[in-house]
Amino acid sequence: MEDDRIERLLKGYRLPEVSRDLDHRILSEGAAIMAPAHARATMEEVGWSLLHGLGFGYVAWLLDLVTTTDAEYRVEFI
Amino acid sequence: MPEDAELIAGMIRGESGAFAELYQKFRARLHQYALSLIRSQVEAEDVVHDVFVGLAKQASGGRMPRELSAYLYVSIRNRCVDRMRRKRELALDDVDLDLIVAPPGDEDRIELRRMLNRALLELPAEQAEVIVLRTWHDLEFAAIAGIQGTSINTALSRYQYGLSKLKKELEVHGR
Repeated sequence: MEDDRIERLLKGYRLPEVSRDLDHRILSEGAAIMAPAHARATMEEVGWSLLHGLGFGYVAWLLDLVTTTDAEYRVEFI
Repeated sequence: MPEDAELIAGMIRGESGAFAELYQKFRARLHQYALSLIRSQVEAEDVVHDVFVGLAKQASGGRMPRELSAYLYVSIRNRCVDRMRRKRELALDDVDLDLIVAPPGDEDRIELRRMLNRALLELPAEQAEVIVLRTWHDLEFAAIAGIQGTSINTALSRYQYGLSKLKKELEVHGR
């Protein structure tokens, strides 16, 4: 039997099924773990929109600039 | 389907939908990979569970790995190796699991499934691992070498040795 024939034969098989119970366990635990992060992100979004709405868009822009720009550190050896 | 980077960003924002999509994308492959290493249905499920729950915890702390696929495979491998150190090795006769499933209606593959499954489980673990990752997960040898912590040449020769053993097994059965 040629190598490519056995490779084709093997590739035709499927992966075994994953149990529904495992899916449920992982998805429900994952969602519960990430819920606080979601609440935090939503609050941030509301905060930014509020700043824009009140005409303080430049503050939001400034904060965004500060938080997304990587700081540069340099160590100089004397 | 969204790219991994989009799903990662979504997870950092705490979106459970992004987590569900990411899980959906990797679940079957990582489950088969864990099964091929640890050879126990219950333990493979526990390992997959722990890896995804760990990922959700990282995301909720605002941290996510850059190379998601490599990270997931290596995490599965490390956890399996860790568990295998702590348990006695089972004789192959005590192992009852399917690493592969034949598509319905494909009589030829249905007939060979049991024999191939057993032949895969009889291979040295590293060879079976490379065959699984290459054949059903479409990973490049460089990626497989990275996961196994070895060189590309070693991964390649493990694949060839494993394949030739499977070939011999098929020939014994008149194929």
